[in-house]
Amino acid sequence: MSPSFKRGMRDGVRRYLPFSVGLIPWSLVTGITMRSAGLSPFEAVGMNIIVFGATAQIGTLPLIVAGAPLWLMVLTALALNLRFLIFSAALAPAFDGVRQRYRWLSGYLMTDGVFAACVDGMNQNKDDPDWRLGYYLGPSFLSWGVWQACSLIGVLAAGVVPKSWSIEFMGTTALIVLLVPMVRQLPMLCAALVGGLAACLLQGLPLRLGLISAIVLGIGTGFVAEHLLQQRKHHAQR
Amino acid sequence: MLNAEDTGLLWLAFVVIGLATMLPRSSFIVAGHRVSLPGRVKQALRYAPAAALAALILPDVLLQGGQLAPLNPKFVAAGVVVAVALRWRNPWLPFITGMAVLLGLRFWLG
Repeated sequence: MSPSFKRGMRDGVRRYLPFSVGLIPWSLVTGITMRSAGLSPFEAVGMNIIVFGATAQIGTLPLIVAGAPLWLMVLTALALNLRFLIFSAALAPAFDGVRQRYRWLSGYLMTDGVFAACVDGMNQNKDDPDWRLGYYLGPSFLSWGVWQACSLIGVLAAGVVPKSWSIEFMGTTALIVLLVPMVRQLPMLCAALVGGLAACLLQGLPLRLGLISAIVLGIGTGFVAEHLLQQRKHHAQR
Repeated sequence: MLNAEDTGLLWLAFVVIGLATMLPRSSFIVAGHRVSLPGRVKQALRYAPAAALAALILPDVLLQGGQLAPLNPKFVAAGVVVAVALRWRNPWLPFITGMAVLLGLRFWLG
């Protein structure tokens, strides 16, 4: 570890620390949701380490329980994770001069919280790749550790809660909490409404094809709504 | 519920879901920033997470036994969660109020 990597880690952790508190309810709920879907504690910990992504985990659990085909789980997880393409593109310049294996590690560790906290700082220090890598990996290791510890607490706690409490609703709540800030813009709201209602209406389709069709319909609606709104704005300006 | 024969398939599912999470995260970091997506594709992809989340949430809270049932306790609790998440920043509150409303309604309705 070079001194500037260590300095980067310290600066990054200091920057991220206040954000890390937000992880706690999330990781608890993910632990609880995995157990209430029927995973054993060992399987739950395995999923947590292999996937390390709350949205993908909570979102695909109903498919796993229903015995849906693997490709459907892949497509659903991809749709839920597409935001990371955009994060990854925004972070890419900051990884100039960083070795390939650390880039893969950084990909595995990427979270919304570390991205939000560190993207600006990382892109500022142009000529020190070691510092930039430390600034990203420091908070990422911290968030991985907090995440694993707190979701283990959730995994263990879920075992003592009676089934009639239906704590699996916490998984649904977590997804709603993610969705709400997204739909503050009108085209996003249209995408979500059409995607959600289409999923209800098409849920009779075989192989749970309704879910993927609904997601595609939602994406299309958002795209069209955005263009219609822009056109209206143009007309209004004339 | 999952049974013992499915265990192999279950771990395979974890691995493919893990890959579907790791690849978007690693994509541009690993490929370098010279590669980029066409603007229209980027624009359309922005809507995928919201559409996917809603497509998972709404059937769960709106359907009961495959039928639309807008007045069920889960849907009401989901509505409260939306209101709480819009109004307050506290990360615990939606989980606490959502569970309280769901359990309260179930208890009250017998």
